[in-house]
This record gives sequence, structure tokens and C-alpha cells, in this order.
Amino acid sequence: MTALLQVKNLSRRYGKVRAVSDLCFEMGCGQITGFVGPNGAGKTTTMRIAATLDVPDGGDVLVDGTSVLVEPRLARMRIGYMSDQFHPYPNLDVMQFLDFFARAYGLRSRRRIETVHSVANFCGLGSFLDRPATGLSKGMGQRLHLAKTLLHDPALLILDEPASGLDPRARIEFRDLLKRLAAAGKGILISSHILPELGEMCDSVVVIEKGERVVAGAIGDVQREAQLEQTIVAKVTREADAEAMQRHLAELPMVGDVAVDGVQLRFAFVGDDDDLAGVLAGCVAAGYGLVEFSRDAADLEDIFLKTTKGRLQ
Amino acid sequence: MTLVDVSERGSPPRHSFGARLSDLVNPILVREVQQAVKGRVFPWAILLALAASVVIASVVSSEERGVVNGRGVFSAGLATLAPLLLFVVPMQAYNSMRTELRGGIVEQLLMTRLGPGRVLIGKLQAAMVQFLLYVSLLAPLLATSYLLRGVDLPTIAVSLFFAFVACLTATAFAISSAAQAIVPALQAIANLGMAFGLGVATLGAVFAIAGGDYTQLIGALIRSGQLTVTLTAVTLAATVSVTLSWLTARSYLLHTFEDKSSGFRVFLWALPVLVYGWMCVFVERAYWSEVFPSLTVGLLLMGIGFGVFMVTEQRALSPRVRHHVPKGGLTSALAAPLLPGRDRGMLCFTAFALFLLAVGWSFWPQGGLDERGPDLVARVGLMIFAYGLFYLNAGRWLRGLLPETVPGSQAGRVVMPVLLFACIVVPLLVDGLRGGYVGEWHWGHVLNPFWTTVHAVSDRWVDAQPVVLGALVALSIAQVPLWIRGVGEVTRASTALRRR
Repeated sequence: MTALLQVKNLSRRYGKVRAVSDLCFEMGCGQITGFVGPNGAGKTTTMRIAATLDVPDGGDVLVDGTSVLVEPRLARMRIGYMSDQFHPYPNLDVMQFLDFFARAYGLRSRRRIETVHSVANFCGLGSFLDRPATGLSKGMGQRLHLAKTLLHDPALLILDEPASGLDPRARIEFRDLLKRLAAAGKGILISSHILPELGEMCDSVVVIEKGERVVAGAIGDVQREAQLEQTIVAKVTREADAEAMQRHLAELPMVGDVAVDGVQLRFAFVGDDDDLAGVLAGCVAAGYGLVEFSRDAADLEDIFLKTTKGRLQ
Repeated sequence: MTLVDVSERGSPPRHSFGARLSDLVNPILVREVQQAVKGRVFPWAILLALAASVVIASVVSSEERGVVNGRGVFSAGLATLAPLLLFVVPMQAYNSMRTELRGGIVEQLLMTRLGPGRVLIGKLQAAMVQFLLYVSLLAPLLATSYLLRGVDLPTIAVSLFFAFVACLTATAFAISSAAQAIVPALQAIANLGMAFGLGVATLGAVFAIAGGDYTQLIGALIRSGQLTVTLTAVTLAATVSVTLSWLTARSYLLHTFEDKSSGFRVFLWALPVLVYGWMCVFVERAYWSEVFPSLTVGLLLMGIGFGVFMVTEQRALSPRVRHHVPKGGLTSALAAPLLPGRDRGMLCFTAFALFLLAVGWSFWPQGGLDERGPDLVARVGLMIFAYGLFYLNAGRWLRGLLPETVPGSQAGRVVMPVLLFACIVVPLLVDGLRGGYVGEWHWGHVLNPFWTTVHAVSDRWVDAQPVVLGALVALSIAQVPLWIRGVGEVTRASTALRRR
């Protein structure tokens, strides 16, 4: 099966600065991949090349098997690119703005109007259609930006810092939108500096530094590769259950220190998803009143801090 | 599963007749009209135009009616129209394009199915809608001037035609300048140049119209019998100008690996057909002996202009162009001069100049108004060809020393005029420093095309001719390896495509 996005030996220089160097990674449909790195690591350059807006000095990017260098026009039809900047046209309302881009994507007659309404509703803009596009809040502006990106139903979404500047509620709502899109089969490559949030929604991660890939893969695999312990957070209904579960977990070989705080437990875990599923099944079978069982969102920060050295260029 | 399937359906959308109709037009035009209706500049311009109409009508109605009044109304109406068509419309288009470029909006636009070409055509169409609105606003004034017997209908029609051509050309130029400002270094120059250029053109037009010279000139033109040739010549010039503006703007907006060059090269080859065709159809045969040499030399000069850009391109084909060369062996070899790359650019220019030479050789007039006229033009043409070949070769070589990047190509285009300037000025300075003054022409000035041409084409042509022809042959032979390399790259790409 062809990967949705394949970045192959990508290199790009700006004068003497090596922005991207021999970068390789790939991602599939329905996957959310976090693209992480310090400032100036080459994230935006890579994303712009993948979105056909820049050209590399070497290497290639394939979107659904189509080279962005050989067939940029074809590749563009499969890409939705959301840059870190958004300047809507003045003197247009939200409906007119979306309608214009729908026309630009070649949507005609009833299909165009249906698509605009569907996308607007999906992004929560249904009641804002008659508002001036330039008068929206930052959060609603990002929703409009995302809506515009979705109009042609792209298979791959490339989102460059989409959550920057959003308040917590807007961020959570935006994250939910992305999860729904991934569930609908879209591949999402997303860069952000808000790592806990990326950790909550990403299946995989690509960490780059000074234009070079530091680590890439499913978050669990990456943690294992980097010999990082995952932190699992569990919550039970009664404190007695918490203590019993602590004892149960302490006997398992893949589990490290278990800390109990009231009805909440935190423990270190080394293993893959199947191992973790086994631990969860064991706890459920033991009859603990388990109401929450998840990876600690701070893990992506751990990966980032442990794999990068903070080198700037 | 598509997004439409995922999302909740909103209220059932209405699809009006107007919406269906708007599907047929360029999306940029639809958006620009929507923006104009909600914006401030457009209503203000309409209000001002209406106010000017009312003021002019009031002044006229308070005076005695007669021929002078009618002509005055016409001139006043046209003078009101001139700033709108020569300044407001192009400047609106310029600002609209600049807005598009600000903050990367144009990148979002280019990600859609709208190619740069359609974006630019949409902008031009929007400007022409404005043109129609402004003209219709002032149409009652122009009609009044006719009813007052100040001007006849042909004068009004010709004036509106000129207004349309001027507005279209200025707008295309404005859009092109704005698109070029995508390069940050060119932004300030483009802003300043556009405001200054349009301002000067507008003031010139207003003064010419208000002074009364314009109506007299149009009247004389209509009576002279040269109206058709003039109108077609203006149309041809405007077509060339608008097409060049469009091609230039498009090349700045296209993806880096797209073929930005072939459009220019095909247009260069279309020019002789257009220009000679115009001459054959619209110019009286009696004038051909004067017009044909001028057009041929003019085409050669245009070829050199195009050549500067062709020979400073990157040498190799981009990955995209390499995958889209013609698949046939012969077709790919024949198409090679039209494909990007400086070696092929040199081939394209040389072939174009040789084609003009062949056309000139076959149809060059004997004698003319001045017995020596056509001969003199032929000598000047040969000198231009020789110098064009030399400087383009030198420019191509210098470009090879620069990095194989887009900024490298842009730098190459600056280096060429600098080289020409240096070749002219340095010998003059040396003369001045050595002797205190610049004396007669000597071989040190041989790279000064202007002085050497003046020096060689008159009495010394017998001595100069072998040198010029020898230089032409030598420069052409020296290019053969480049041509082989340029064509070879295309045929190899074509073979690779066939083998897939």
C-alpha cells in the first residue's frame, strides 16, 4: 500500500544555512503525525515543500504517490495546506469567502453551495456565515482557515502551527475537529509548539533538529526506541481499589514505579500498545473500578527534550 | 468518506439563477465585484464621477448652446473619465494584486485549481467591469456633447476605443508590476514606479484633452484616411503589451519548476506573423518599402530583449518540464528551442534572428523614398544582429558563473546591462584620462554598439562588412556545441519517457 505522504531524502539550503538535510519519513491515511522541532529546525520549509510552495535542492515528496516536483498541480488537489498566517480578504463575509474558494477549487452549482454549508457546519461556522471574514476572533479565524482548507476534500492536511494564539477552549475544539477529520480518513501532518496537546491527538511523531530527522514513528515505538518510559495515568472509583491496583501493577515486569494520589495512579511503563492493552485487560479483569486509563500527555515533551539538543541554526 | 458525509447538514441551501449564472464566470471576477460593492473606493469614485457630470451639465446649461459648448462638454467628460480609467482602475487592480500577495494569500489561491493565468485574467475582467461602469456613468455627458453638435459619433467611438485600449494596457501593466513585487526587493520600486507612471500618464491625458488638442487630433485622423491603419496598429501594440504583461505576471506566480519560458518563446515566434500580417492587410503597398525594414529591425530588437531573459535562465530542465517534453524523437528536437534553459535560449534567439534575416533577404525593398534608405537599415540590422549575438553569448557565459538558482537568473539579467554599460563607458574613460578628451572612434570602442554602428554603416561599410559577417559566422559556429547540448538534454528526456 502506498503511504499517503512520503518525504524522501529532502534537502534545502538557504545560502549557507542548511534548512533541511536528507530528511525522510512517511505517514498514512487517517493518521495524525506531529511534526516537532525547535525554532528554525526546518519544519515550515519541509511543510512548504510538501505543499508545493517551495522546491528542494534534492530529494522529493510524494503525496499519494504523486511527486510534488513533477506534478505539483495534481498534488495540490490532494493537499490542504494551512499556513501559520491567515489574512482573509477584506469586504467579504464568511459565506462569500468560502464560496470564492469553492469556486476556485472548481466546485460548481448545487455541489458548491452544499459543500460550503457542510464544511462551514463541520467547522462550527454555520451561524457566522454573514459575519465579515476579517472581523472574526482568532479562534473563529482559524476555523475559517481550516474550512477553506477542507473545501476540496483533500486526502492530506498539512497544518503549520494551527493552534498558535488560540485560547484553551478554542484549542480543545480545534483538536476535536482534527480528530474527527482523522477518523474520516484524512492524513494530518501538524506542527505545533504545544506538545502536550499534540501528544493527545497524534498517533505518530517526527522530531527534527537542524534540518535532520532525530526520530520518527508511532509515539509508543519512538518511546521504546529512545528507551523512554511512558507514563500511564489511571483513575479508579475508590481509594481501596487504587491501593489494590498499585499492588497488582507493581508485580508486572513492564511497569515501573507506581504512585497513588487518592483515586489516581501514575506509573511508568515500557512496552508496546499490545502490552499496554494486556495491562488494561488485567486491571479490568481484576475488578478494579477503572474509569480512566491513558498515556500521560506530557510524553511528547519527554521525547522532544530527550531527543533534541537545542541546537539552533 | 468525504467531509460532506462526516458533517451535519445545515439548512438546505438555495441555488438561485444568479448563482448558476455566476458559475460561468471567473471566480476572481465574482469576488472582486462582491468586494467592490462592499468597499469604499468604488462607491466614492462613482459619487465623484456623478458629481462631475452634474457640475459639467450645470455649467453647460447656464451658457449659450453651440458648437464650442458641445466640444467643451465632450472634453470635460473625457477629462473626467481619464483619471478614472488611467489611474483609479489600474491602481485598484494593482492594489488588489498586492493584497493577494500580502501575507501569503496568493499561495492559498495558487493551491486551488485557479492557475496564475486565470487569476490574472480574472483581475483584468474585474477592471474591465469597472471600465464599463465608469463609461456608462459618463455616457449621458458624451451623448449631450453629440446632441449639442460639438462632436460627431466617430469621434466619440474612436475616443472610447482609445480609452478602452489605454485602460486595458495600463491595468495589465499594473497587475504585472504588482505580481513582480512578489520579490521583496522589487516592492518599493514597483509601488513608486506605478504611482509615478500612472500619475504622469493621467496628467498628460487630462492636459491634452482639456487643452482641446485631442479632439482636433482625432478629427484630423478620421479625415486623413489613416484611421483603420492607426486603430489596428494601436490594437496590435496593445495586444503585444497586454500579452507580455500577462506572461510576465504569470511567470512570477507559477510554481518554480513549471515551464515559465515557453510562453515567451512561442510569443516571440508569433510576433512576425502578427506584425507582417498586419502590414500585409492594413498598410498600403506603397508604404511597404518604408514599413517593412522598420518592422524587421524592430522585431530583431524585440528578439534581443527576449534573448536577455532566455540566455540567463537556469541551464537544465526542471524535473517537471523533463517529465513533460514531447515523447516523439523528432518532435522533441523541434520543440527544444521553445523549452526552458539558456543553451536552448541561445538557439531560439539565433534561429529567430536567422529567420528574420531570411525574410529580409527575400522581401527587402529596393530603393524607397530615399535611395539609400533600405540599404542603410539593412546594415544597421546586421550590426544589431552581430552585437545581439555577441552580448547574449557573453551574458550566457557570465550567467554560467552564477549559482543555478532563480536569484542567479535574476542577477544574470542585471549583469548583462552592466556589461554593456561597462563596454561603452570604460573605453570612453580611458580616452578621457589619456588624452583629456574623447576623440575619434578607434578599435578600443568596438564593443560600443551605438558608436560603432554609426561609424561603420555609412562610408566605411566596405571595410566593415567582412568583419561584421565574419563575426556573425564565428559567433554562430561557436554556439553549435551549446545547441547540441541543449537539444540533447530534451531528446534524452524524451527517450527516457518513451522507455517508461
